[in-house]
Amino acid sequence: MQAQVQRRTFKSGMPPVVDDDDYHCSDAMWGSLAGFGSLVKGVPSFVIPSVPDPAAFLRLHTDDHADPSCKIKIQHGTTTLAFRFQGGVIVAVDSRATAGSYIASGTVKKIIEINPYLLGTMAGGAADCQYWETYLGVHCRLHELRNRERISVSAASKYLSNLVYSYKGMGLSMGTMICGWDKTGPALFYVDSDGTRLKGNIFSVGSGSTFAYGVLDQEYRWDLPDEEAQELARRSIYAAGHRDAFSGNTCNLYQVKEDGWQFIGNYDITKLHYDWAWGGSW
Amino acid sequence: MYRSSGFDFSNSIRNHSLAEKGLPLPKVTSTGTTIVGCVFKDGIILGADTRATEGPIVADKNCEKIHYISESIRCCGAGTAADTEFVTATISSNMDLHALSTGRKPRVVTAMTLLKQHLFRYQGHVGAALVLGGVDVTGPQLFTIHPHGSTDKLPYVTMGSGSLAAMAIFESSWQPNMTREQALQLVTTAISAGIFNDLGSGSNVDACIITATGTEMLRNFVKPNERVEKERKYTFRRGATAWKSESIRKLIVNEQVTPVAGEAMDVS
Amino acid sequence: MVGKDCVAIASDLRLGTQALGISSNFQRVPVSHFSRVCPSLTICQVFPITDRLYVGLPGLGTDVTTLYERFRYRVNMYTIKEEREIHPETFTHMVSSTLYEHRFGPYFIEPVVAGLSKLPTGGLKPFIAAMDLIGCINFAKDFVVAGTASSKLYGVAEGLWEPDLEPEDLFETISQTLLNAVDRDAFSGWGAVVHVITKDRVISRTLKARMD
Repeated sequence: MQAQVQRRTFKSGMPPVVDDDDYHCSDAMWGSLAGFGSLVKGVPSFVIPSVPDPAAFLRLHTDDHADPSCKIKIQHGTTTLAFRFQGGVIVAVDSRATAGSYIASGTVKKIIEINPYLLGTMAGGAADCQYWETYLGVHCRLHELRNRERISVSAASKYLSNLVYSYKGMGLSMGTMICGWDKTGPALFYVDSDGTRLKGNIFSVGSGSTFAYGVLDQEYRWDLPDEEAQELARRSIYAAGHRDAFSGNTCNLYQVKEDGWQFIGNYDITKLHYDWAWGGSW
Repeated sequence: MYRSSGFDFSNSIRNHSLAEKGLPLPKVTSTGTTIVGCVFKDGIILGADTRATEGPIVADKNCEKIHYISESIRCCGAGTAADTEFVTATISSNMDLHALSTGRKPRVVTAMTLLKQHLFRYQGHVGAALVLGGVDVTGPQLFTIHPHGSTDKLPYVTMGSGSLAAMAIFESSWQPNMTREQALQLVTTAISAGIFNDLGSGSNVDACIITATGTEMLRNFVKPNERVEKERKYTFRRGATAWKSESIRKLIVNEQVTPVAGEAMDVS
Repeated sequence: MVGKDCVAIASDLRLGTQALGISSNFQRVPVSHFSRVCPSLTICQVFPITDRLYVGLPGLGTDVTTLYERFRYRVNMYTIKEEREIHPETFTHMVSSTLYEHRFGPYFIEPVVAGLSKLPTGGLKPFIAAMDLIGCINFAKDFVVAGTASSKLYGVAEGLWEPDLEPEDLFETISQTLLNAVDRDAFSGWGAVVHVITKDRVISRTLKARMD
């Protein structure tokens, strides 16, 4: 009964949208509204610091390059890559999380499984990416229920880019690739927190992206066989993990095919180094 | 290659530009310290803790902060560790030279004057806060010297980040004409107050008793923070670390020089 | 690190500008070429001074070279003048006063000295010391650390070190300390080298380390 009262409270002033039967499931069942408690009024709303310029305030306390003793260290420094080819989309990322020079974790999952047909990658603020891509998953599901068909990758990525654009200048930090398979075939979009949204065949995001591009551009062809495409992705992530201090540890590899994404494997970058005897130092 | 004595500033401009490019200066070792000194019936007792820090890290758990100036003069140092170390060493050697040229035993005021003139010249940039004590021809003497060169002459003094904790003990318990045992107990309590109540101070108590008859250095007089023995050993199995290449250089352990018979070289 | 009648000194091999790793075998490349790339290259390098004395110089690449050449010159002059090898203690004070000369414009180096010092009786005693960048010496009985990963090294070394380790056990302990600390530091790694100095030999090994 308690739950009903609460539910009525925040719908006061509005005609009931659903019939009374729906009231039997309580909010508690969903946890704190499945983590999206801030969205109960329909419009996302976050508590923003009561200072004239929230973005400058955030930057002041998080920019550890300008001030290594800053109070908040946001996880960043990453290598992520994805490319489209005849066999679908290959998505590969490293797994290192750094806070300043400290390697906070070597086993981060930087590929977010939005739903069985959509993958998102994580670069920039880990929390921003995780939260908004999960939120995107909720909306993709609602789209499916409303329209009786899966959302296109294009629509999903546009939904995300429009969403982050509404927070532009407030300090969100994400550089992500939305990868999937829809009616049009394999699809790949780059979306970042500035609001940029790009369609393309090859993308790499993060501090190690230049190293990854170097390998990727050299060997990439549309008609790569699956095996070779996966090897290329591994080698690109290895190159970045080797050269870039903020990338490394392991490589996570996924491939999106017509029937959804597949997890290919997790590879230790040092093991790859010694297997290939590359790096030139010995 | 001629080098003039004194500091060399040749890297200053480079370091300034590096700092602007975002390469911060590494942290220097400092002694966030408790150092004290007190006068008693027969002389002076100096005390110090033994912690050296690098920012939030304890760099040395048992360093020496009571520095030698002369046989019957010692100096406790707080502040930038390198500065306290070198400023006392410089003044110690100058005192020696002074003693040799005058043919007299050095006085504490002389050391105090040399130190304050040195520190004043560097306007606080040589970051040494000192407690100077000793016994000379004029009797027991005790001074504090601040980094900018000001000095105090008092019967009981404290310095460093733990100075408030230590001074609280002195203010409540110091009396004139204490015996050696009473004074040593008081100094130990004062340093312990610093060790336990000030985060910048820690580990052991060093003390130094200077009287007209001699100087007694009590290194690690009290060790209230001994590390308990590890309950397990953490030695690795031999061969646990993989290595790629090895080179062994054999060294000469013993060499015997056998003079070869023959005529000695003519060196006349 | 100090062991039983032996000492060990270890270092990683990465030469890099902030995030970018440039070389993992600094000793073998012409230094002037790299110094021109960027003035803020950082690196650690271990040099032999005498048979049983090594110095590790972690810090700014250009200063590593400058100071090493300076020390080499001064040690050579000392050896010629005194007609004997320099002692680890003496060398440490030489390094320390060289750094303190630059008190107000320091070299970006935090040296680590490890060696065996000769006793008047003819025996050998382990000696280690570390300095901050302006030459404050830290004589330790157990271990000393320095460089970008120093805070991580303190933790691991404090846990793993124990007294009276034999040379081969000391090698395992110092190697595991270095490798595990360096794996948590983004700016260190890319291979490692360990020297174990004993009475009759110096064992130098390059470790199989993480390469990312």
